[in-house]
Amino acid sequence: MSIAVSRKKQSRRPSNLWRHIFAWVLMVFALFPIVVVISSSLSKTGALSTGSLLPSEVSFDNFIKLFTDGSIPFPLWVLNTFILASINAVLSVLIGMFAAFAFSRLKYKGRKQSLQALFLIQVFPSFLALAAIYVIFERLYKLYPLIGLGSLGGLLLVYLGGSMGGSAWLLKGFLDTIPMELDEAAKIDGASPAQIFWQIFLPLTTPILIVTALLSFIGTFNEFILASLFLQDMNSRTVAVGLQSFVGGTFGANWGPFAAGSLVAAIPLVALFLSLQKYIVSGVTAGSVKG
Amino acid sequence: MKRSTIASLFKVFALAVTSAVLIWMVYVAVLGSEWLIVGTLSIVLVLLNWIYFSKRAVASKFLLPGSILLVIFVIVPIVYTAWMSVYNYKTGNELERDQAITQLHQVGLVPDESATNYDQVLGKYQGDHALLLTNQDTHEVYIGTKTERIALADGTFQVDKQLKAVSADGFTADNADQIAQANSWLTTFSVPVSDKQFINPQGVEIASLMREKFEFSADGKSITDDVTGIEYVDNGNGNFVAKDDPANILYPGWRQFNPAQNYVGILTDPKLSGPFLRVFIWTISFAFITVLMMWALGLTLAIAMDKKMKGRAFYRAILILPYAMPSFMSILIWGGIFNPDYGALNNLLNGHIDWYNDPWLARTMLLTVNLWLGFPYFYLISTGALQALPTDIEEAAEIDGASNAQIFWQIKLPLIFQILSPLLIASFAFNFNNFNLVYLLTKGGPTDVLNGETAGATDILITYAYKTAFGSNEQNLGLACAISVIMFVIVGALSMWSLKRSRVLEEM
Repeated sequence: MSIAVSRKKQSRRPSNLWRHIFAWVLMVFALFPIVVVISSSLSKTGALSTGSLLPSEVSFDNFIKLFTDGSIPFPLWVLNTFILASINAVLSVLIGMFAAFAFSRLKYKGRKQSLQALFLIQVFPSFLALAAIYVIFERLYKLYPLIGLGSLGGLLLVYLGGSMGGSAWLLKGFLDTIPMELDEAAKIDGASPAQIFWQIFLPLTTPILIVTALLSFIGTFNEFILASLFLQDMNSRTVAVGLQSFVGGTFGANWGPFAAGSLVAAIPLVALFLSLQKYIVSGVTAGSVKG
Repeated sequence: MKRSTIASLFKVFALAVTSAVLIWMVYVAVLGSEWLIVGTLSIVLVLLNWIYFSKRAVASKFLLPGSILLVIFVIVPIVYTAWMSVYNYKTGNELERDQAITQLHQVGLVPDESATNYDQVLGKYQGDHALLLTNQDTHEVYIGTKTERIALADGTFQVDKQLKAVSADGFTADNADQIAQANSWLTTFSVPVSDKQFINPQGVEIASLMREKFEFSADGKSITDDVTGIEYVDNGNGNFVAKDDPANILYPGWRQFNPAQNYVGILTDPKLSGPFLRVFIWTISFAFITVLMMWALGLTLAIAMDKKMKGRAFYRAILILPYAMPSFMSILIWGGIFNPDYGALNNLLNGHIDWYNDPWLARTMLLTVNLWLGFPYFYLISTGALQALPTDIEEAAEIDGASNAQIFWQIKLPLIFQILSPLLIASFAFNFNNFNLVYLLTKGGPTDVLNGETAGATDILITYAYKTAFGSNEQNLGLACAISVIMFVIVGALSMWSLKRSRVLEEM
């Protein structure tokens, strides 16, 4: 392949052709599953595709089934996911912001060591300890069913455990760019660190906090391993666990409603993702979102 | 001033609520005798109140909430993983030793030689569950409790026509609803008659005299079965086994501390080391190949698009879609597309390719899907790296007469590699643990179940650990934790190496 084309010279027409062809081939690859899922969701049979990529007859039966069939609590799954991801997003950003503020602005003994320790701990993904998490929460369930195995509360706690290692880094980097003069001036005026935090830093960083929260939301939406460990009950599942259980095994039968459910859940997420593209692109280069 | 009053009121209120919840939780844990939880929660309670009411320790106020959650829900599970990995801890060996021995007493019960049966009425005696028993042969009547069998004197009980006792003084018979619920306590109920004899309910209406066939030695190290005469000894690994035949094991066993077993087993026991080695090699290969493929495609795309051309924005918007889609969903959709019977791909190819049942086809499928998921990310980061390249180097090389190919392979590519290497390592680590992809697409299969294999052709370490811990046949938590520990070491070493290169730690 003649990819060694300099940027400056040779900008005649022929050299551009391979770029267009390449892009089109990849676009077909990229769009293939998306076309399949759209066409399956609109097909009347509800089964996996039966010959052609485009449905012979457009129908919304799959979408109706999704929201009315009592055996598929899809609306509940959406609600569970929304509640879980929202609470986790708000709390984890707040916890991360607390920590980032201390790391960026407060002088205390052992600051460097605590930063290093945190950095080292957060390289271990918590789901590697899944057998231990299972046993611990099985035990907690006997005492506190609300945060035990099978509950959204317990799952939330595990997610929150990782929040300081996760978002604190992104936020510390951002706080470091805020000029020191700002809080020094406030300090001279007699403001306490708590006041500086709540009244200066939090309002000032609201946009970046919202972005971080939305990224955390997307992350929770995509999380499967811990959610599947915790949420065994049909009605307490998240969209990820629910759709998996629903389509697993009997691909043929539930494919139509599954495709419809995927579309319903994916459209807001994709829209959210694309609107945050700018931040995600700069975030992934820091290696932090997903990949 | 006013604002800070409200703020401190809010602080006190929040602390009060949190403390109240924690105190309630401590209370519940005390009732359940979970002293570890009692201790942990008490420390949290004291720390919270001490730090937030102290005038100093400002930094701790900001770090405490995150740190508590981090310690309890991340560090403790990691430590617990390491702890579990040095135990023989699996299906059949889940209890404490004394719990297991209590259950062995039950296991060893056989019907007494006298074949005595009792008619039984369920009820309560002195507030506790009890049985009103009538010996079917002698018509003697007893009340049986958890601790003793009380013989009743004539006149203290009433009988029906079959001479079966139906009520007695101090005994309240259960009503129909209570009887319907009786299974919850009846299955473990046992009335001791003598050291070796018990009356055990056989359903709701009949009880039988049972005899314990196991003779426990005084030091607790051996058990003799007085029916078969077999002597069972503690094998030091959580079970009593027959002295002459170690494969003859009594269940339940218990969790036995055995630090080497799981790790040595992974290395030397052919039943474990074979699958482990195959999974290990595939994990590394998968992570390596997948990163290489994604990067090659992403970089090529970035180079192709690194130029003002018609439709570039449109191309970009479409090509980024796989990255924007929720990944678990894309994986499930691809799973349907590859379905051998109804999938869109086989329909399109007009063939019947069994993607899921051939190891190499399944691996190809896995790599293809992951390429789809990952190439946009590598396109994005490669574009960033291309833009970060200094242009003067390229110009200097051109002046020196280097060809375009030379400029790319010998100058640009090494530079891009250098810029992207931390992200490539991170991506390797991510794919090393890419549970979602493998579990949602192939569940690790195909697995040669007929030959007793537990690991499938596409299993990576994390899915293998998951199967080992939560599999349907045997759940070996100890072994799963040992695999997790090995993964911790690998991921940790990889990250350390990457950190050392980037010098992040020194700059803090």
